[in-house]
Amino acid sequence: MPLGRRWNPGVWAIALVAAPVALGSAYSLAASVGLAGAGAGEFAPGRLLGVLSAAETWRSVGWTVWTAAVATVLASAGAMLIAILLRGVKGARALAVIPLAVPHVAGALAVLLLLGQSGLLSRVAFALGWTSQPADFPPLIYDRPGIGLILAFAWKELPFLALTALAVRDTRSSLLEEVARTLGANRRATWRRVTLPLLWRGMAPSIIAVFAFLLGQYEMAVLLGPSDPLPLPVLTYERSMDSVLPRRGEAHALALIALGLTLLLVIMHEMVRQPEDDA
Amino acid sequence: MTRTPWSARALLALLALLALGPVLALIVQAMAASWRFHALYPADTGFEAFANLLVSHRLRSALLMSLGLALATGATAMVLGFWAGRALSGAAGAVRRVGAMAAFLPVVAPPIALGIGLQVVVLKAGLGGDWQGVLLAHLVPATGYVTLYFLGVLSAYDDGMEEEARTLGANRWQVLRRITVPALRRRLAEALVLGALVSWGQLALTLLVGGGAVRTLPVELLSLLQSGDDRVGAAAAVALTIPPLLALGLLQVGARRAGSHT
Repeated sequence: MPLGRRWNPGVWAIALVAAPVALGSAYSLAASVGLAGAGAGEFAPGRLLGVLSAAETWRSVGWTVWTAAVATVLASAGAMLIAILLRGVKGARALAVIPLAVPHVAGALAVLLLLGQSGLLSRVAFALGWTSQPADFPPLIYDRPGIGLILAFAWKELPFLALTALAVRDTRSSLLEEVARTLGANRRATWRRVTLPLLWRGMAPSIIAVFAFLLGQYEMAVLLGPSDPLPLPVLTYERSMDSVLPRRGEAHALALIALGLTLLLVIMHEMVRQPEDDA
Repeated sequence: MTRTPWSARALLALLALLALGPVLALIVQAMAASWRFHALYPADTGFEAFANLLVSHRLRSALLMSLGLALATGATAMVLGFWAGRALSGAAGAVRRVGAMAAFLPVVAPPIALGIGLQVVVLKAGLGGDWQGVLLAHLVPATGYVTLYFLGVLSAYDDGMEEEARTLGANRWQVLRRITVPALRRRLAEALVLGALVSWGQLALTLLVGGGAVRTLPVELLSLLQSGDDRVGAAAAVALTIPPLLALGLLQVGARRAGSHT
């Protein structure tokens, strides 16, 4: 083997996994300032600045962040409850992972069937005499607060967070809880001072991952989200298919916003990860 | 084990309802020949919508396209992810950390944002609207997932056997075939399934890079829903759910047999 400097295989591995994202982002950057894509010419940051200063953009970003955040909180709370109350209970783990197997498009249809105005819940409300027609049932789909989408997101992400929470309890918190009890802490104190903080610390990377993932979720957003404001992934897709060609460049500017948010969350994820997560 | 308290039993019942309810709703909708508003259950049921999946040329070829893409993505991501995960797990601290971040990026990057850039790369390569282009696009997140998976798995892997085989004169290929692959057989199978599942449920990347010409089952399902055909759509949704459910079940059984929780 020559003694000269060889590229570390780890660096090649980084290049392999990062190259597609880097290439795609670079193209989007070029296209959003007029250097690539339809009608490419000289450097013209006007399009990027236009998208960045449009109220529509930030309403879409804000709405998307809101739905992803609420769904992440709901799913995390559910996962913690499962880990606290159902650890070791037969069947709990098997049940909790089921939504993981349901692809997002299929899950979105299920939510439509359950929560739509002529869906199953609406029929139950009718049978109970609470409503007299489908329109009496509160709109939970295509609604501005995004209730149906938030519930769909939380349902789909519950398994991943529940498995993480159960693993944290299995590996980290049991022993410390026992120690706290032995030292005289009562149930409540143990829960508040040991179980919850450990769960929170152990789950933090997964919670950030889920939030980042939901920000970019397209299938459920297009099937359950409102048309005003449009969820960011849906707005981006629609722009990319716009019949007015120059508007397609705006899709690249929107994609850059999404990728920027993702990058921020990836860095946060790495910061909260603990050394033992590698093991 | 102590007796299960009532709060745990109530939560378990709620969990069962939440986990199974939506899947049951899909099955009932797919079976419902007529299900007007007010009715809590369909008046008339049958298996026509499921049969349609196999009879309709369009849906059958979508099913095959999805299966083919998932297997090809799973197999390729397994090889690439194993190599990348191995290289990173043996790397020094900083390279390893940056590697973990780099592999995590395609996993959480919004498929639409990713796909818009990738679309151009695939078009330039002459693969726009082709299944090969869609395969390349699916490989991006799938390789990220599998790399992270192996990065975790391999940090507990003892390569002493490989070292010994090499000392005894085995070449790299022999070590891989005789030692590494047999030792990690179950992990490799899990990685293949993981990669395949990423492709199986993928819609956004397929739409963008396939340009509507590559018709996978999720693409057909979206069209069915947008045209209001909920019944056949529900049958397609059930068909999309069964393979991942089987895969998850098999992995759980495999993990239990191996005595671990992974």
